[in-house]
Amino acid sequence: MTRPDPAPVPQALAPEAAVARAVTAGAGGVIYDIGYRGYDGPRLGRRSAVWALFAFSFRAAFGLGRSGRAKVVPWGALAIISLPAVVQSAVIATAGPLGARAGGGFTYDNYLFRMNLLALVFLAAQAPELLVGDQRQRVLSLYFAHALERVDYALAKLAAMVASLFVVAIVPMLVLFLGQTFAASDPFGSFRDQLGSLPGIVGSAAVYVLIYAAVGMSITAFTPRRAYATAAIVAVFLVGSAVSPLLRRAGAGIGDWTILLNVNTVAEGVRHTLFGGEPNGAVATASLDGVAYVGMALAVVAVGVMAYLWRYQRIQP
Amino acid sequence: MPLIEARSLTHRYPGNILALDNLTLDVEPGVIGLVGANGAGKSTFLKILLGLLEPTSGEASVLGFDVRREGTQIRSLVGYLPEHDCLPPDLSATELVAHMGRMSGLPASAARERAADVLRHVGLYEERYRPIGGYSTGMMQRVKLAQALVHDPKLLLLDEPTNGLDPAGRDEMLALIRRIGLEFGIATLVASHLLGEIERVCTYLLAIDAGRLLRAAPLASFTERTGTLAIEVEEGAAGLAERLIGRGLPARIEGRTVLVDVSDEAAYITIRDAIADLGLALVRLEPRRHRLEDLFRDEVTDDAA
Repeated sequence: MTRPDPAPVPQALAPEAAVARAVTAGAGGVIYDIGYRGYDGPRLGRRSAVWALFAFSFRAAFGLGRSGRAKVVPWGALAIISLPAVVQSAVIATAGPLGARAGGGFTYDNYLFRMNLLALVFLAAQAPELLVGDQRQRVLSLYFAHALERVDYALAKLAAMVASLFVVAIVPMLVLFLGQTFAASDPFGSFRDQLGSLPGIVGSAAVYVLIYAAVGMSITAFTPRRAYATAAIVAVFLVGSAVSPLLRRAGAGIGDWTILLNVNTVAEGVRHTLFGGEPNGAVATASLDGVAYVGMALAVVAVGVMAYLWRYQRIQP
Repeated sequence: MPLIEARSLTHRYPGNILALDNLTLDVEPGVIGLVGANGAGKSTFLKILLGLLEPTSGEASVLGFDVRREGTQIRSLVGYLPEHDCLPPDLSATELVAHMGRMSGLPASAARERAADVLRHVGLYEERYRPIGGYSTGMMQRVKLAQALVHDPKLLLLDEPTNGLDPAGRDEMLALIRRIGLEFGIATLVASHLLGEIERVCTYLLAIDAGRLLRAAPLASFTERTGTLAIEVEEGAAGLAERLIGRGLPARIEGRTVLVDVSDEAAYITIRDAIADLGLALVRLEPRRHRLEDLFRDEVTDDAA
């Protein structure tokens, strides 16, 4: 009869057992004084540290591993931004394809433009969540004393903001996509028909997300308090969208160029230029060339990211 | 290869504030005390060693790595406990320490395992799962120490590790540092403005003042020089001092206390006999706790000599 192999000793326990000093205590009981163990395993260095910080921050952006309170805003924003897509999909499912208009008339072209307020809520709440605490509680001095550089920290946090915001932007459009696919009498045919719009879906989400993240993270990097950062981000978006139509009506000289003060119009202009479809908002009525939106967007992202990185090169932890 | 090597290290902050002035020293492994008054340049020195601050001039290396060019390598092998608060209140100690392990390049599973290990070593048990925001100062200092230890560093840099602790907390922290240095075998540099504390844990002492190296020597040589005995008697201090001086011992009076600089064993017998002969009521007989000022006073007299 063959005996089964003894269970392999877990790697972690082997060195412990080797060093353990058994100290007999009282009535035959044994206390193991394990002592200090060194670490001879792999040290993966800077690249691994950056990746770990990205993953950690991405989870933090959704409040994962944090208290319930930390989850309210990110998950609430994600739920509400997805709600129209869910409702419209339900209406289509019961009333057929013609139900799309009754369900709100959301399309891949207008979804983010209409629902951008929720993306703004997510950005204005979670960009400070990612950056301000580390500044205020001086956790930065711990980070900078480790295997990663200042620029690594900044880029990992920026990437986490981009990735989490991308989830918020893409999820509702994927809901819409699935809704329209499965509500059709011929799901396979519908899926094939819609496949062509996937690059546009991903692309337009990316356009909004990159512009939003660059604006939000650069503002936050310069703000020492969470509430100030949130207020400043909201102000930049809302003041831009409030002022630009007023200026447009009043300013005969500069005319349509004033719409570029509105971050959402810029994002929408780039989306329309790159991926076509129905133009929304001021983009529909203005006579600006697509290059103007793209140029403005590139300028905003470049200036935002450069200011952000500059700040983290100089910040005193 | 020395653990730390500095050659003519000088640092000026903006506004022409001189923090380190031509500092040259070699540090060998052990538990090393870096002692100096507030503003003497201790924190600046530690930050330069970590590669966080670029020296204005001069050279320095840690574990053979140049502080200017190889900061990343240094930081992956060195643990650092900052002087100020630096802990996020919303994370638990376990989460923070494991995360900092990953920031040093440890794989996720190893970081978790080592976090549990080092938290146990610094004496945090069930409370390590609670958010740090609710911790006492003593517990926070332990977490700061744990995050500096999690990646099994070759060198620990501790900046005022007993800051804000009550006497019992100080004792525990000092015992822990001693254990890390001697039992765990991790070279440790402890910066403090309290010589009395540092001399309890260190084997070697560096004293700096106004950015200059005052003295670097094994601890024993410091205590030899400042081997002062404090004798407190009910009354008759003056008579005792007189008699001791008559027996060739340098004695001076400070209130009800007679201070004697003791150089050998025989002095204790002389003192005992003197007290007995005079029939004095002895209240206290103890070695004087050394203070920074004593170091500096000695230095001045040395210079004058």
